[in-house]
Amino acid sequence: MLTFTLRRLLTAIPTLLVISFVIFGLLELAPGDPLADQPLTVPPEVREKMRVALGLDQPFYIRYVLWLKQFFWIEPLYTIDSLFGTSFAEGEQRIVSWQFRAPVFDVIWQRLPQTMWVVGMAYLVGVLIALPIGIVSAYRQYSWFDQVGTFVSMIGFSVPTFFTGVLMIVIFAVNLGWFPSIYDTTLRVTDWESFKRQVAQMVMPVAVLALFNASQISRFMRASMLDNLNQDYVRTARAKGMTEPVVVLTHVLRNSMIPVVTVIALGVPTIFGGAIITEQVFKVNGLGQLLITAIYANDLPMVQTLTFIFAVLIVLFNLIADILYGLLDPRIRYD
Amino acid sequence: MSDGGLPTGGPSARKLVEVRNLKMHFPIYAGLFRTRVGEVKAVDGVSFDIYEGETLGLVGESGCGKSTCGRAVLRLYEPTSGSIRIDGREIATAGFETLRKMRPTMQMVFQDPQASLNPRMTVAAIIGEPLDEHTSLSKAEKLARIYELMDAVGLNRNFANRYPHAFSGGQRQRIGIARALALNPRFIVCDEPIAALDVSIQAQVVNLLEELQEKLGLTYLFISHDLSMVRHIADRVAVMYLGKIVELAPRDALYARPLHPYTQALLSAVPEPDPNIEERRRRIILRGDVPSPANPPKGCNFCTRCPKVMPVCRDVEPAFAEVEPGRFTACHLYDATIMKTAGETAAPEAQSTSDKVQQGA
Amino acid sequence: MKLRTALMGACASAAMALPALAERGADGHVNIIYWQAPSILNPYLSSGTKDVESSSMILEGLAGFNEKGEVIPRLVDEVPTVENGGVSADLTTITWVLSEGLLWSDGTPVTSADAVFTYEYCTHPEGGCAQAARYDGIASVEAVDDRTIKITFDAPKPNPYQAFVGGTSPLLQKAQFENCLGAAAPQCTEANFGPIGTGPFRVTEFRPNDVIQMEANPNYRDPAKPAFATVTFKGGGDAAAAGRAVLETGEFDYAWNLQLAPDVIAGMLAAGKGQTVIGFGTLVERIEMNMTDPSPNLPEGERSTTAHPHPFLSDIRVRQALSMAIDRALLVEIGYGQAGRPTCNLVPAPEMFASDNTGCLTQDLEGAKALLEEAGWTVGGDGIRTKDGMRLSILYQTSTNAVRQDFQALIKQWWNEIGVEVELKNIDASVFFGGDPGSPDTFQKFYADVEMYANNFDGTDPEPYLAQYTCDKTPGPTNGWQGENINRFCDPAYDELIKELGQTGVMEERAALAKRLNDMLTKDSFVVVPLVDRGRISAHSNSLGGVVLNTWDTELWNVADWYRVK
Repeated sequence: MLTFTLRRLLTAIPTLLVISFVIFGLLELAPGDPLADQPLTVPPEVREKMRVALGLDQPFYIRYVLWLKQFFWIEPLYTIDSLFGTSFAEGEQRIVSWQFRAPVFDVIWQRLPQTMWVVGMAYLVGVLIALPIGIVSAYRQYSWFDQVGTFVSMIGFSVPTFFTGVLMIVIFAVNLGWFPSIYDTTLRVTDWESFKRQVAQMVMPVAVLALFNASQISRFMRASMLDNLNQDYVRTARAKGMTEPVVVLTHVLRNSMIPVVTVIALGVPTIFGGAIITEQVFKVNGLGQLLITAIYANDLPMVQTLTFIFAVLIVLFNLIADILYGLLDPRIRYD
Repeated sequence: MSDGGLPTGGPSARKLVEVRNLKMHFPIYAGLFRTRVGEVKAVDGVSFDIYEGETLGLVGESGCGKSTCGRAVLRLYEPTSGSIRIDGREIATAGFETLRKMRPTMQMVFQDPQASLNPRMTVAAIIGEPLDEHTSLSKAEKLARIYELMDAVGLNRNFANRYPHAFSGGQRQRIGIARALALNPRFIVCDEPIAALDVSIQAQVVNLLEELQEKLGLTYLFISHDLSMVRHIADRVAVMYLGKIVELAPRDALYARPLHPYTQALLSAVPEPDPNIEERRRRIILRGDVPSPANPPKGCNFCTRCPKVMPVCRDVEPAFAEVEPGRFTACHLYDATIMKTAGETAAPEAQSTSDKVQQGA
Repeated sequence: MKLRTALMGACASAAMALPALAERGADGHVNIIYWQAPSILNPYLSSGTKDVESSSMILEGLAGFNEKGEVIPRLVDEVPTVENGGVSADLTTITWVLSEGLLWSDGTPVTSADAVFTYEYCTHPEGGCAQAARYDGIASVEAVDDRTIKITFDAPKPNPYQAFVGGTSPLLQKAQFENCLGAAAPQCTEANFGPIGTGPFRVTEFRPNDVIQMEANPNYRDPAKPAFATVTFKGGGDAAAAGRAVLETGEFDYAWNLQLAPDVIAGMLAAGKGQTVIGFGTLVERIEMNMTDPSPNLPEGERSTTAHPHPFLSDIRVRQALSMAIDRALLVEIGYGQAGRPTCNLVPAPEMFASDNTGCLTQDLEGAKALLEEAGWTVGGDGIRTKDGMRLSILYQTSTNAVRQDFQALIKQWWNEIGVEVELKNIDASVFFGGDPGSPDTFQKFYADVEMYANNFDGTDPEPYLAQYTCDKTPGPTNGWQGENINRFCDPAYDELIKELGQTGVMEERAALAKRLNDMLTKDSFVVVPLVDRGRISAHSNSLGGVVLNTWDTELWNVADWYRVK
């Protein structure tokens, strides 16, 4: 298992390099200009100077190599410096966002908490409600519970979050006034009162996203349970005289969880990716909103860095999913 | 309903399993609202007895309901109606908990040894799980019992902590058998236990089953489509066609002189090792396909394909009756009253059934 | 309905009676939402409206503009003019004298050295200053003494209120930005995210593209202001959500620039939690005519250049007919509602500069047809006019935007009616306005016959704006397609008048010249076809008082005077 992991990590390096190059190339070829949102009243000479100040006068490959150096060398050094008080990275230029003129990683760190809270919580809630729904739906296939579950998952899966989100705002924020329509990222939980406010502002975005996640995962869980429920070993377990809970929860569930766990693991990078639309709708201003505004502003260093981090996470969680599969399923061994 | 006939094991034997008019119908749902539109009559009123210590072979072509019958007998399905008594206790209607308590006496060996073993449990866990559930043995005692069972089925004890996928098909079936033996059952349904195995392994497993029967005094319901293997292992044989038993007889009698036209056709297909006999063997080729169990024909189930079909067969369902001592069949040919009234006019319409069916299909 | 109007009136009059009694910070907290989130608080590094306006709560210029476009003092006691001797008679110098006892929010005194430094900061050749145009034509900025700043111009400057005036050209603190000159400017993240200023508020926390937390500046020059102790300035989302948060849920007190369909705003107002404020500035949605030939058959480098005049748009009668066919009132109704009004002027405001040009306001399809007939364009078999085998076919481009696409569709219909074939094209705004010389789709390249967008000018003086239409500002391959004379309009008489305007200091004369220049571009030549004078519509809650919408400076120009209606 260890050699397998190491080998996979090694092969990930060229993969990621190619990905980074492709991202950089695509962004380079994409139309757009980082100064486009400056008003037309800014004269062309001034624009040109601003462009030079962003380093845009350098050719493509030089900027790419510089970015590689900054991402893989200077930023890690900088992290070491801030952790141990050393000064390896002193005077080195970090990756700087074009729209903020601030280091990309500082902003990403700043955005991480709300994304983890809202999107991460939604994923967790989604998984927690999806599993029992999937199990019961499969065990009582075609019962009213299953039918209702199928219907709700259908809705959760097919109705876009910008619709459910705005609908919830109109109902619960505008008409009922229960929850705020705008997420306050500066709220710090210090006491019971602020905790209640935090929960109140998380309810709607988490509900919208959790519905979406749950409908996806509960379908997987149901399908996987159904696959296993008709297997002979389930009959064996019943023939052994096991109680029904043991049959379903130990025998069937443990086998059904194998594909579901990997699906859940593969979905984790999407948490870090944020939920672009939901974050916009509720003004959570997490990583998703950071990415989309960076795209609009043609903030290439930010877009490049964020998408590359997502690529790294996806590669990483693919590996984790594979390892989990190996751990869960004794039939699979990586040697 | 008639009696199950005499066992070959001698008159002293007593009935361990009594099945009466067992029906297993599966509902068919269709349409927008999944309404019930009919049912598949997988097992449609079968009755038989199994005597203690004997092996009853249950044969038939695929889809005839023999596996369903085996599972229903152990109540792995909820039977639609009928009665199943094992060791004098009714299980067809027993409550869940009562049934669970009775599980140790009756066990099953499945056709696909791979699928019937939980892939995420080790051999020791698979064999030991029923012990956890039904006994209060200590850990060491349990392990001793697991080893004992592994020895009994010829598995190396050192493999106790391996997972099923690490074994060959034959070894897996041995695990399945050891698992079935764990609680000292008296009755085991062997559902095509050798069908998924290599021919070279089949004999080993069958011999193991026979050895165990001898040693432990087990009673088997041996389900198979392999007539030669049944001839080898069974004491009596029941033949199923489309959810019903058409003939039940002691083995030698059945193989020597099959009564029911279906049995005759079935046995005529068994190749003979002796080339001289093989040459003279006349195969009875049945035409057409087995009718759908969701929509069986009126009268005798076999009337659509029977080489000896008579008009009465298309109207009246033949009774399952003892036509000779110990021999039962459901066929109008052996119904004295019908044969008498029909006389010569009821000469079998052999080979003359419709043209629409294909020769030798 | 009447009752509510009456109540609101009562509220408003009560509100009028209350202010100014309060002391600093007495009104607690105020929430502002901008649906575009500020990304930096240094307007010299980004001229995005969201950045300039948010930073204007913290940073100030020496003077600003009020809602009428008049210069008002901020860090000085009196605005220098020729009359009071602050501006030299030859219009080459202006001398500002700082008020006494001014302090930065960190408690250190504001001195003339800060102004000199700010000038150096923005004019540094490597700095990429976004407001460099504000400091154009300045020969030197000197600190005469601690409180006196003297700006000397290269040439007579009839409008000297550019540098250090308004939200786009505020004073930076030298001590804070000293090490941030030139190439180092973007690296001073801390300073750019939390500038020390003289404005009514100071930053306590800044999260780029998300939120700014501010508190009252303890050293603000008016001890009674601001009324609010703390501010949350939230950014992001969309105009509808911002409007909803103020007008429907009441979570926020002020929402900026509600670019929404008129009926959407009306629906939100029905909730009764807030009201809208509208201001008209100089933003004009217009159609620009291409005076050169954009034909794709021409070799690259000659397309849309002065080498080839436009085959038919160079005829004034065609241009005029196109303008006559447009019903501007309908455009306003559909696209902007109360936030727009029809106009025939390129310079619709300030009032003294606005020409009384109203000839275009009534649609005249018959007149347009007649004009085209007169020009020799006759209707062909398919309803499209032709002349000498040439079809009257127009490629009409603009940026991607719902209102603009509605306009395109309507105008296409009218033009079709007078026998003009129209092909529509829309281009993503970041490409269209991106100025990438490699892209064929920028508004500067103008590879189309006509194009539509909006533009305005900064401040109150239209001179630089009108000066964009001189012959030498024509974009082309020689200058990397940079240049503001998008139409490639070239009239020596126009260039002459611009020169004259640059030498005229007397306001009335300047106004007269500006009106003539405006007319030359619009009603005399139809090179620029103005459509809509676009106002700005913002919203505030009923409990927020003191809001005065100003289109000449930032919208938050008087945030120090805002208060809570009780």
